[in-house]
Amino acid sequence: MNALIISALLGVVMMFSSFLLKDRSTVRSMAIAGLLLLLVVNVLEMNGVEFFNINTRDMIVFDRFALLFNTIAFLSTLLYLLLSAKEMAKVGVYFADYLALIFFILCGVILVSSFKSLLILFLGIEIISIPLYILTGSDKRNLKSNEAALKYFLLGTFSTGLMLMGIALIYGAQGSFYSVDISKIAGETPSALLIAGMLLLFFSMSFKVSAAPFHFWTPDVYDGAPTVFTSFMATIVKAAVFVAFIRLFDEAFGLLHLQWQLLVAVITALTLFIGNITAVFQQSVKRMLAYSSIAQAGFMMLSLYAMNADAKEGLMLYVAAYSFATIGIFAVLIKMSDYTFEGFNGFAKHQPLLAATTTIFLLSLAGIPLTAGFLSKFYMLKAALGTGKHLWLVIVAVLMAAVSVYYYFRVIQAMYFKEGEGQPMEVSKPFKWTLVVLAALIILLGIFPNILLSWLYF
Amino acid sequence: MNITQILFWFLSVVALFSALMVITNKNPVYSVLWLIVTFFAISGHYILLNAQFLAIVNIIVYAGAIMVLFLFVIMLMNLNKETEPQKNRWLRMAGAVAGGCLLLVLVAALKDTDIKQQQAMVNGGSIGLIKNLGKELFTTYVVPFEISSILFLSAMVGAVVIGKKE
Repeated sequence: MNALIISALLGVVMMFSSFLLKDRSTVRSMAIAGLLLLLVVNVLEMNGVEFFNINTRDMIVFDRFALLFNTIAFLSTLLYLLLSAKEMAKVGVYFADYLALIFFILCGVILVSSFKSLLILFLGIEIISIPLYILTGSDKRNLKSNEAALKYFLLGTFSTGLMLMGIALIYGAQGSFYSVDISKIAGETPSALLIAGMLLLFFSMSFKVSAAPFHFWTPDVYDGAPTVFTSFMATIVKAAVFVAFIRLFDEAFGLLHLQWQLLVAVITALTLFIGNITAVFQQSVKRMLAYSSIAQAGFMMLSLYAMNADAKEGLMLYVAAYSFATIGIFAVLIKMSDYTFEGFNGFAKHQPLLAATTTIFLLSLAGIPLTAGFLSKFYMLKAALGTGKHLWLVIVAVLMAAVSVYYYFRVIQAMYFKEGEGQPMEVSKPFKWTLVVLAALIILLGIFPNILLSWLYF
Repeated sequence: MNITQILFWFLSVVALFSALMVITNKNPVYSVLWLIVTFFAISGHYILLNAQFLAIVNIIVYAGAIMVLFLFVIMLMNLNKETEPQKNRWLRMAGAVAGGCLLLVLVAALKDTDIKQQQAMVNGGSIGLIKNLGKELFTTYVVPFEISSILFLSAMVGAVVIGKKE
């Protein structure tokens, strides 16, 4: 509850600072200080210190799973702002408003990670989506950004419509919005109305996490949106929706697991296949990262498929590993003017430190041992094996992980083994140090995953 | 057949017919006008279900304000035959098949469900009056109600970001 109220207030503060403060660097430091505050109050809440005592009638419950995820999300956002907040000012003139929207999105992130009632889920998803449509279209003079925003808006509202329809059908079947009540009656013989509602919810959530065959919006939107906001969209937001997805299907439809398991398995395999195979053929690194985010979503879907203790631990680790690595790569990419693979030629000679950290991020995404990416993929596969069924899914996942090595290593190859002039870049000292911290975090999590996972239990 | 049932069937026929007219009409202005008729018929259904406040809001907000916006946009866009995009025949077929599948699933789901009688009070009852609605909104659902203010605030910030001249 601490973080929810404070992030909403911070959003309002940023909103006012847009016309009270003229100096951009003050606004930026205010946002970073605000996020630090959020992180601190959230960690305090994990240790039992609550500033606000609000009776939510059990619609929002902050359990360890939710609080741990919120901590990861705030930490990623903090690193993201440290690395890329300056670039936001280049998108348009409303620097403080963009930050306000980001704080509002964080409110939505907190809601979807801790909901116990479908009403809160819906509100959370909407609070995440609406600012995102705007951030996507914030580069107003760029036609591609406009196109992406319109596409995202039309498809996103359509899928929200599906979600509402699903919630309405579920309410019709069970007479309650609470996930506890929905699961209670579902144990006997689930009514057709409940199943139809569940499917509609499943499709709309798959849309939001860009699982195939609902992924068609992703490449265009991620490619068209200003790169700073793509970075935010592809990491923290996507992870939050995944946590909501797991939460919904664990708590509300957990007893129907056997009914929807095969469906999830098919969608997971399809997502893995389409994401990885299409990423191989991309010429632009930004578009490759968009497809890679679909592919990584496929891996995260494995936790939905398995839905056991390993899956939940694995998801936390995956979310952290994926967010940190992707934020790092995007932060480097934003500084470049040429987004093609050729643009990375000879990068290691001109920017050795940046190239080294980018290599660590790419290795983590590919799942090479000693990085967090390896262990998170390992947890996912272990969880999927733990179900004892559908072995083919695990085989597909391993094969696709091997395919992913190809396109991640293409960047590394361009950086180290190809000659090129290198692009002019302005890189400050703090930027470099933040990247090093990020890379260190990834390696640390790859060696000692328990420093993160033990928070789930103690 | 009592008066409620007659009204129900009448309103249902009107709603379905006007909804069909919305999607079959070639002229978008007629479509919008038929959509208004649909909204009125649905408002009638709300009144039959004792949701008087919802019915009025539906007429004021949807049939009134939003439909006027629709009409304005359509008139400003100045649509005519030439601007209409040519749709592929296969695409249409695929759309019909996909939509038909959804219809099939929903009909199958709704066909044999037992409607919980106690949830919809048909005769008497003042459930839908503003007083009761407000009480419920500010006691049981006060947290979601307050949270929705964040949603509207972010939408307003967004409108300024998108709409204001740079």
